[in-house]
Amino acid sequence: MIALASARLGRFFRRDSLGLLGAVLLLVLLILGIFGDLLPLGDPNAIGAGPRLGAPSLAFPLGTDDLGRSYLPRVVEGIGVTFLLSAIAVIITAVIGTLLGMAAGYLHGATDHLIARIADILFAFPALLFGLLAAAVIGPGSIAAIVVISTATIPLFIRVVRSVTLSVAEREFVVAAVVSGASTWRVMLVHLLPNILGAAIIQLTYALSVSMIIESALSFLGLGVQPPAASLGSLLRLGSVYLTIAPWLVLAPGLVLAAAIMSINLLGDAIRDALDPLRGRSLK
Amino acid sequence: MTAAVDIRDFVVAYETGGGAVFALDGIDLAIGAGETLGIVGESGSGKSTLGMAIGRLLAPNARIDAGDILVAGCSVTTSDDETVRRLRRERLGFVFQNPMSALDPTMRIGRQVALAMEGTPDTAAVERLLVRAGLDEPGRVARSFPHELSGGMAQRVVIALAIARNPQILIADEPTASLDASIRDRILDLLFAMRAETGASLVILSHDLRMIVHRCERVIVMYGGRIVEMGESQAVFGSPAHPYTRALIRAAAGNEAPGEQLDPIPGVPPVLRAPSADCAFAPRCAHAAERCRRERPAERAVGGSRVACHFAEEIMAASGTAREVAE
Repeated sequence: MIALASARLGRFFRRDSLGLLGAVLLLVLLILGIFGDLLPLGDPNAIGAGPRLGAPSLAFPLGTDDLGRSYLPRVVEGIGVTFLLSAIAVIITAVIGTLLGMAAGYLHGATDHLIARIADILFAFPALLFGLLAAAVIGPGSIAAIVVISTATIPLFIRVVRSVTLSVAEREFVVAAVVSGASTWRVMLVHLLPNILGAAIIQLTYALSVSMIIESALSFLGLGVQPPAASLGSLLRLGSVYLTIAPWLVLAPGLVLAAAIMSINLLGDAIRDALDPLRGRSLK
Repeated sequence: MTAAVDIRDFVVAYETGGGAVFALDGIDLAIGAGETLGIVGESGSGKSTLGMAIGRLLAPNARIDAGDILVAGCSVTTSDDETVRRLRRERLGFVFQNPMSALDPTMRIGRQVALAMEGTPDTAAVERLLVRAGLDEPGRVARSFPHELSGGMAQRVVIALAIARNPQILIADEPTASLDASIRDRILDLLFAMRAETGASLVILSHDLRMIVHRCERVIVMYGGRIVEMGESQAVFGSPAHPYTRALIRAAAGNEAPGEQLDPIPGVPPVLRAPSADCAFAPRCAHAAERCRRERPAERAVGGSRVACHFAEEIMAASGTAREVAE
């Protein structure tokens, strides 16, 4: 079973080298983010470990920040924080969005209208404006960031799942399940869910990359994680102050964020292509 | 003969963007226990709507304007969801037109069959059911996904799903339309064998009047959401009284001489915006008179059948016996 799965995975990536690049890059960043504090990179919070705003050197590969903290472990910590917050938010989005989207697409009528209208309202609401509101109500921090990211990514998730559910629910096997006496819950969880999972997974990758951008934007504005914790966004904000005298403070987290989002999108595209039945058939 | 299904003055309309479209326009029908009933008619005549309505499986935009359907004495239109769910599970079995879309593509056959059966059956019980449906390698089939089966095998699985709980009513909506011609007869043989084995009533919806007459005890001819002719299949086919039935027999392939042309029915089926006040077939009927466009024909006994046509007797008398029509 595992051998079969790995063989299929191998075939999947051999056909799609960009997808492989995305997967490898994402894996490296994830390992850095998760196991960063186990690596001998130095203490991210040790003030005065080096000169203030020091340029990259052997001792401090990414330089030092305005308090003389080594920048490399701070960037690594930022990767971890940004990934963690985005991942939590996206998991919440995926669970809620999938359930609501399936309910809207399958139950029709009032349920559908209610869910679709709520999604529309959320969709029309700018994420950053909502971020300011959430920060004012629950106070800036990780929880506010997760709430804002989830509310920003849920509407699109609901729409995608709803539209896929609508087309799957039309198929006869759903009617066949209903005839055999399946309850609404069983139809949704046993028959609809596996059939919409592909679309949901693709949407999940896009939601993850959007989440990282939103998280970074919130932290950049000071509405996300609070010091001394670092996320890629809060590092960018700090760096932007010293842009002319210490550009490495912006470059390092900026490039890492760009690489992370690119890797997720490449992987998402690869999954979409692999799940697309029309792939490899040219339309002449 | 107690009725397994009792349909009374049933009217169904679909809400569409362009207004309501009537699919069933007053259906009165009793289906006896253990009976084999064929329903024929062109696409759009309302036969699929009728079949789905028996299990309260109409699309969300369908609207029941009048009438009721009783399955085993229990109203399908007014009962609560749980009652209807039990009714479907215990009494109804459906066989669909396209077996490939009637099976869940993400689930192995064995699991799908097990879900349709009562309780939590073991592998042996699932395989016994597959064998009953005429599948030779039940173990392999149970482990397969739907796309790994041929159309005929998939339709056997669909029939197995339909008979999993020994239903009292089997409804087959064009069960062979998507199958290879060479296996159609065998699937029909299986369907009728299963009916005989379970003692269920079997309702077959089809375009194929010849097949229906050959296999079913009773036949219903539908047009424009109404029953235009109904009776013992030999009587209906042997001496058709309604002009639409006659046209349907003439339009079907099978009894023409080599080189002879088939005789299609001119025009297209009607789109009913309201319950029809006249005869829905009149615009396409060679015998239509002024009365047909003014007065809705009532169903009445003509010969051995029940016919909804003002001029059934005259038409039958004028064209002689039915053999001539068929030949």
